[in-house]
Amino acid sequence: MSTDALVPGQPFPDLELPDHNGRLRALSEVAGGDPLALFFSRGWWCPKEQRFMRGLVQLQDEFEVAYARIAVVSVDAPEVQAAFRGGLGARFLFLSDSERTWLDRLGLRETTDAVHHPYRPAAFTLFPDLRIHRAYNGYWFWGRPTMEELRQDMRAITREIRSDWELI
Amino acid sequence: MSAAVSSLIWFDGRQLSRGAGSPGRRFRADPRCFAGTPVSGCFAHVCALAEGDPGLPYDDPLVQQARRDALAWWVSLLGPALVCLTTLALDPVRCGGAITVARDPFGFGSDPFARIFPGTIARTDLFCEVPSPVGPVIERYSGAAWPGGSFAPRDP
Repeated sequence: MSTDALVPGQPFPDLELPDHNGRLRALSEVAGGDPLALFFSRGWWCPKEQRFMRGLVQLQDEFEVAYARIAVVSVDAPEVQAAFRGGLGARFLFLSDSERTWLDRLGLRETTDAVHHPYRPAAFTLFPDLRIHRAYNGYWFWGRPTMEELRQDMRAITREIRSDWELI
Repeated sequence: MSAAVSSLIWFDGRQLSRGAGSPGRRFRADPRCFAGTPVSGCFAHVCALAEGDPGLPYDDPLVQQARRDALAWWVSLLGPALVCLTTLALDPVRCGGAITVARDPFGFGSDPFARIFPGTIARTDLFCEVPSPVGPVIERYSGAAWPGGSFAPRDP
């Protein structure tokens, strides 16, 4: 698989990775029947990731009442993710690919970082069945979804999956 | 999960039990807690009163914040000792407390639900292991006891 396959309309692979507590999670379980905003992040050390995560922490106040999920994948070890998550005040899930199981299979290796071998920042908004709604390349910070774009994506997905969306 | 799994549990102030006619006050829990193989020799931190307390609305900021704290740090604090966690619904709108089940009671002194409802530690063999809530959703799904429920289409 390469990033060519990670395009709108295609199914996202049902990743199975340990969460920030070390408990194995399948992405389909994380979605749990709700829309899912999935982020691939370099790691805790990157100032761009720190800034973007602070934005997500603000947005989680809307997700918590809107039946939508957030998950972040990085190569940080679970205990590092737990500390980063705690410091941020995040209440969403982090998934650890410290063994880099999915990095190349997804075609998301950041080749310009030969020290950490992290994920290239990317974001996907997914339907509950993991079908891709939109994909974002966050290598350049401005390529990432804004919080408003994430709201709009969640709205579009929810409109499609909830049969009682329309007023009339 | 079978639709026949009951979500009801009774608490008499000291012990938890299941089945109609059990002593104490009746609550509705996350049914996933009873849908698998029970883990024996666990400790339950029951934050609830067995009688008298009318409970609080799930929408009360105190109950909302306890759920946020559960997602933010309570689950992580318990780590692999956690077996399951459920709030206790009295009816479609009121929360009567929460139960955290763990293999080890070491962290129970920090239970965020104990800020609202008095905590009692009970030995139990009633609960099975349930994946901890992924967050950040704190709302309930059609009245299910948080963190249970889902809007996913049900199997025919």
